[in-house]
Amino acid sequence: MATSTYLTNPVVTVNSVALTGFCTSAEMMRVQESIDTTAFGQSSREYSSGLANNECTMTLFLTYAAAEVYATLKSLVGTRTTVTLKPTSAATSATNPVLTLTGAYLESLPVLTGSVGEMSQIDITFTGGVYTEVVV
Amino acid sequence: MKLIIVSELVGTPGDQYVPAEGINVEALLEGGFIKQEKPTKEK
Repeated sequence: MATSTYLTNPVVTVNSVALTGFCTSAEMMRVQESIDTTAFGQSSREYSSGLANNECTMTLFLTYAAAEVYATLKSLVGTRTTVTLKPTSAATSATNPVLTLTGAYLESLPVLTGSVGEMSQIDITFTGGVYTEVVV
Repeated sequence: MKLIIVSELVGTPGDQYVPAEGINVEALLEGGFIKQEKPTKEK
């Protein structure tokens, strides 16, 4: 039985701007690339750890109002920034850590999207960066 | 030059903004989230 429910009230920041109120989905993925070190004579593949290649994706309502989503992201395309996710808005602790990607790169930004009768939403992905977990 | 918070999405408006590691300050200025406070001249 699940003992905790997460990501119902997370904290999402991009470049230190709190975008929680505009975000409907977020995921931070730790990736440690594998390097094949299998040699002759071995009967199964063997891997070693390569470079970290972390990623953070999120879905946001696209708003053009002053100091909101578009204003946050428009100057970040092609640059590196810091992205944080925290499972809940409660105090930071070992059970509610701040998960951070420092130096994550934003390659692309949908600047206008939408369909009739729907709120305009965008999916963005930050790639790379150093992953840290703060518990205090 | 001192950085001052403008948007509550960044912190308390009027407080000094101290960027953490990796923060793109130029993007925050361009987006209107913070502003630069010019030092006042002493008479």
